[in-house]
Amino acid sequence: MKKTLVCLAAMTLGATLSWAPSVLSAELKAKPEQKYALLMSHMDNEFTIQLSGAVKDKAKELDAKLTVFDARNEIAKQISQVETAVTQGYTGILIEPVAVDGLGPALGAAKKAGIGVINLNQKVSDTSVIDSYVGANPVEGGQIEMEFIAKAIGGKGNVAFLLGPLGSDAQIGRTQGYENVLKNYPDIKVVYKQTANWRTDQALKLTENWLQTGTELAAVVSNNDDMALGAVKAAKDAQLIGKIKIAGLDAAPNALAAVKNGTMDATVSQNTIEQGLMGMEALVKLANGEKIEPVITVPHALITKENVAKFMK
Amino acid sequence: MSERRRGTYGRGQFFQDFGLILIFLAVVGVLVVLSPDAFARPANLIGIIKQASINGVLAMGMTFVIISGGIDLSVGSIVAFTGVVAASFAHPDEYPLALAIVAPMLLGALIGAVNGASVAYGGIPSFIVTLASMIVFRGAALITSDGSPVFGVSDAFEEIAGGFVAGYLPYLPIYFIVVAGLSAFVLKATVFGRRVYAIGGNATAAAVSGINVKATLTGVYMISGALAGLAGLLLASRTVSGSPTAGEGYELNAIAAVIIGGVSMTGGVGRWYGPVIGALLIAVIGNGLDILNVSSYYQLVIQGLIIYFAVLADIKGKAGR
Repeated sequence: MKKTLVCLAAMTLGATLSWAPSVLSAELKAKPEQKYALLMSHMDNEFTIQLSGAVKDKAKELDAKLTVFDARNEIAKQISQVETAVTQGYTGILIEPVAVDGLGPALGAAKKAGIGVINLNQKVSDTSVIDSYVGANPVEGGQIEMEFIAKAIGGKGNVAFLLGPLGSDAQIGRTQGYENVLKNYPDIKVVYKQTANWRTDQALKLTENWLQTGTELAAVVSNNDDMALGAVKAAKDAQLIGKIKIAGLDAAPNALAAVKNGTMDATVSQNTIEQGLMGMEALVKLANGEKIEPVITVPHALITKENVAKFMK
Repeated sequence: MSERRRGTYGRGQFFQDFGLILIFLAVVGVLVVLSPDAFARPANLIGIIKQASINGVLAMGMTFVIISGGIDLSVGSIVAFTGVVAASFAHPDEYPLALAIVAPMLLGALIGAVNGASVAYGGIPSFIVTLASMIVFRGAALITSDGSPVFGVSDAFEEIAGGFVAGYLPYLPIYFIVVAGLSAFVLKATVFGRRVYAIGGNATAAAVSGINVKATLTGVYMISGALAGLAGLLLASRTVSGSPTAGEGYELNAIAAVIIGGVSMTGGVGRWYGPVIGALLIAVIGNGLDILNVSSYYQLVIQGLIIYFAVLADIKGKAGR
């Protein structure tokens, strides 16, 4: 207990010092006494790997001391990690939340303790506990994807949606984007709309079953790339590649490869790397007393066969 | 008849098997009526067996473990880990294809051997041992793959599970049929199989009667591990990638197939074909609900209820003995 108090005191002192307005310099650098925490929801897929990688790169560039915490998709774990960051006297927290709700009290306590809090990618529902949000708008991503498909199938026909885990922020936002676009295309009918929980194997099974019904599908629109690749495999087995348009979202490397070889029609990049770079930069700016915008939006980009080479490493 | 002499099976068992087959036929019947054009098509029926195959392979391994009186929670993670390994070895022109095929099964058997030895020689409950290895090998899958799916596998690798006999019959069910056939043979016609039943029925009595309980149990978990490795290979080939998050919850699906199939959780009792029907039933329900375009929310409720009632019918069947 005593130790915690000492830590808290040291942390408050440290925070106070670091919040003193810095001398404006052309080059942004973190101070040696500052330490930063990156709190990731998980580290299990291409997206989170890319995002945390970009944050680490930026931290290195800015000489910022960065510790990465992995919540393994457990909200309770992420809450304790926020609390740890507070007791350990971190200067600033960059958080990619496990869920939009539930982190309010923990982040509020961090903010009260004078720690800079920047929310990355998925936006928490209570924005009063964060200093800034850096991310892409999932609705916009869904709109870009659906707009591409709508044009590719000539504005008419049956489409199926592969959804992410029901109730997740990305699933809701991206699907909302699809529906926004479809208001302008009355001749496109959504015949199936089921979750495959971001998984390739589940999407494969689901698409196989849809194709068995004999309902003619003009396109499969997927909330992410892994599921779109399941649909690609099902279409390939049924010798329907080219006949069914398939699009995903995330610009994962395996999807880029599929777009390049023509088995998948499009993916949408939420500029993951840009989000990571901008998030870390905003955090250091905040810690150095610079003013930052409460919402920093990173735009999406459509990737098709024409421009895919640009996005491949 | 030999079962009757062993005294483990009787009239109750007859009703139990009869009940299971009846439930299966009833579900199929209902779906045929509800969806005569889509569900009952031959191509769809073959598709269902295809979709049951990977779970079926896992369920056969799980059958050995559950009959021996244990449980194996690690199979889902082994699927992910060996799938990643298989896909890593399957990049075109890097390694011989045989390595991508043999390595997953060998690794699976090795992990199973460690599980089994910890249960048999270490005396740790199987639930704990395999829970630990479930966590360890999920981690190993993430480490090996660096957290993202391994892709870019060769066409020959994709053929392993994705190929067709005569351009029509998929390969995948063949693995299931072969594994089910071999499992049936081992359980019914070998000394090893009889020992597994004896250990599950009463391990102390089995040891007193001269059975090497420890070696047999190690073998049981090795079978489950090796089959999980095979499932990992098949899933990686089917999805044309090795994903570290694949196979999550597969252990529960396999356990569900075994339990629906009337194998007793307390060990010592169960027939080889129960889990085969169990795996088929789970696939039939999933396929039927997708085809009928039942909302994802309701699918979960329906799937849970069917497992519940299948087991309830099973228990009632036994009570009628």
